[in-house]
Amino acid sequence: MHRVLRDKLAIAIFVLPGLAFFVLTFVAPILLSGYYSLTDTLGPGTDVKMIGLDNYLELFHDERFWLALRNALLLGAGFVILQHPVCIAFAVLLDRIGGKAEKWFRTIFFIPCVISVVVISRMWLSLLDPTFGMFNKVLAGIGLSSWQHVWLGDPKTALGSLLGILIWAGFGWGLLFYYAGVKGIPEELYEAARLDGATGLKLHLRITVPLLSPVISVQVTLAIITALKQMETVFLTTNGGPGDSTQFLAVYLYNQAFAASRYGYANAISILFIVVCLIATYLSNQFIRDKSTEY
Amino acid sequence: MSKLSLKTMVSALAVLMTALIVLTACGGKNDNAQESSPAASSPAASGGASASAPAENVTLRFFSNLPDRKSGQGLAEQTVIDNYVKENPNVKIEVEALAEEPFKNKLKAYMASNEPIDVTMVHFGAEVGTLVSAGWVEELNPKDYEGEQYNFLPGVFKGFTFDGKLYGLPRNSDYEVIYYNKKLFDDNGIKVPTTLEELVDAAKAFRAKNIEPLSMNGKDLWSLALLYQNIAQRISGDQASILDATAGKKKFADDPALLEAAKWMKKLADEKVFNTAYMTMDYGASQNLFTQGKAAMWYMGSWEAGMAANQQLSEEFRKNLGVIKFPTVAGGKGKDTDLLAWNGGGYALVKASQHKEEAKKFFNYLMSANQWAKVAWDTGAAVPAQKYTLTGKETEVQKQLADIQLNATSTAGMTYIDASSAAYKDATQNAIGKLVTGADSPEKFMEEMQAAADAANKK
Repeated sequence: MHRVLRDKLAIAIFVLPGLAFFVLTFVAPILLSGYYSLTDTLGPGTDVKMIGLDNYLELFHDERFWLALRNALLLGAGFVILQHPVCIAFAVLLDRIGGKAEKWFRTIFFIPCVISVVVISRMWLSLLDPTFGMFNKVLAGIGLSSWQHVWLGDPKTALGSLLGILIWAGFGWGLLFYYAGVKGIPEELYEAARLDGATGLKLHLRITVPLLSPVISVQVTLAIITALKQMETVFLTTNGGPGDSTQFLAVYLYNQAFAASRYGYANAISILFIVVCLIATYLSNQFIRDKSTEY
Repeated sequence: MSKLSLKTMVSALAVLMTALIVLTACGGKNDNAQESSPAASSPAASGGASASAPAENVTLRFFSNLPDRKSGQGLAEQTVIDNYVKENPNVKIEVEALAEEPFKNKLKAYMASNEPIDVTMVHFGAEVGTLVSAGWVEELNPKDYEGEQYNFLPGVFKGFTFDGKLYGLPRNSDYEVIYYNKKLFDDNGIKVPTTLEELVDAAKAFRAKNIEPLSMNGKDLWSLALLYQNIAQRISGDQASILDATAGKKKFADDPALLEAAKWMKKLADEKVFNTAYMTMDYGASQNLFTQGKAAMWYMGSWEAGMAANQQLSEEFRKNLGVIKFPTVAGGKGKDTDLLAWNGGGYALVKASQHKEEAKKFFNYLMSANQWAKVAWDTGAAVPAQKYTLTGKETEVQKQLADIQLNATSTAGMTYIDASSAAYKDATQNAIGKLVTGADSPEKFMEEMQAAADAANKK
């Protein structure tokens, strides 16, 4: 066996299928995308004319693209700043409750993650419907009629409402990961900390959070990527509207490719999209790596 | 392990890989062969009466934007398909139907993958234009469709003709009207509007009674764009102006009516003439709001004539359904008989079809005056693009719609959003969305329209 593994040819042959798979399904599409991004084609099968870097030049002046990127980054920030601290808090609480209740709540919190995105989108559209929706009805019921609003139909509140929906929908996943992380922290550490006089919030800030840092680092990276790639819920609720106020990168890319038939331009967006995702991943890794703690 | 085993492993792996490649390739080929064999021998069956020689079985793929096969246009379409299958028992027709927006998107995906659909629904102008430039739809000979058998109205091929070549046939005469609920107007003592000013007043009165005034599928944006074109015509009295600006023959700023119409759009939105949630409502949602009696009016096209005969809607609604001509504007030059009319929907043959002969036979059958046109009119589903005869059994709505069409003093022929490229459509629709939600001022809207037209005409 050793001789087989020493043989360079053999190694190459063993690696080949995996490599071929990677090249065909990952590298080749990106290269093709790069090629199409330099053309003005309307779609596969139509005339292809090279236009150099025109698409990229246009992209840098495209307000809609930057707006979409800004919204995606806002969503990422929403995930990191709002969703994840709540997830960690709930994970700790869940761990403390124990017994049957723990199992029950664990299941309940995870429900949004098993519901289909289509159902979630439809459900929130009805809940937030300005005339017939439950949300406005409840506001009226508790005497806050003046707070009633066209939540998803007004450019001022659409983005906020949508971020709310997305943060709600992704809550279960975050909770699950942090819960698993919390479960992995040995009880002795807490006992030792208590003996040293740490209690309540301090206990968790000094023990739980630092020890969760590997999970947090993975989660933050994932959250930012998820935010950048967000597509389905936006597409099914507002489709980027009203008037671009909830435009997100992936939705904009899709609509440019298939609604506006600007296939070349959409490919330019996708190339920039990949670059942005890579930068975001790199930065979030850099930012968190040096903070990790061991026990 | 010995050297021999290395060789064995390598060769085994090589065999495995080759087998994998060969098998996948063969698999693909096999499918094609099975599918295409009937087509290869089908020319014999195309001679018309296929009763003499038992024809080979063929399954045609039909792609439609009418998912409701039990009422309206979907029923009419299905009826023609059933008629054809009854007359040609060797042919099976597989229908795939999606709602409007998913349909448009999937059609582009089919185009991209060169999917062997046989006959597909297509939208005129920019939409079919993309399919034409991808070479996905078959060219038709206009000479074949002249005369009694088809009976097309004059000028209806406009939106399906590119560089003098015809690529599809229209199925309907489309024109924008306002459907309204008579009962809601009567019960609340509100006057049916004949001018935009009255429309705003009616909207205020309905709002005061907690009834949504005008249902609008704002999420789809195109209805808003048509409304804008309609208003601009009512102000200037000129059907061609906005189309000329789109084609780059003049500037948008040259026609003051275009700016004024933009201000009107803003006003209609600000005065809450549209239903409250209109910017998140798609076609179906806006229709439901109206048909369930929760909105007093619906701005939509003549293709919704079928609502009056749709048994799934409440009888009360059907009884109270009325049609009005689009209102005029005080001081405007446009008459209420000027019609924003075009031929938008149609059918086309697909080049990738594996049963070209059979597909063409069915296509011609579908477009015959005594099939789609007759069935659609008789069932009250739509106003065809072909000559139709009044049977006397028409619904009130149909009579009103026919009346509006027959008494039209001028027609637009095209909608501006579809008169240029798909990118122009996307950009101008986005602009109208920003206009009504207040993100852009009417002046900024005009700039965006001009920029979109400039970009489209540059290429």
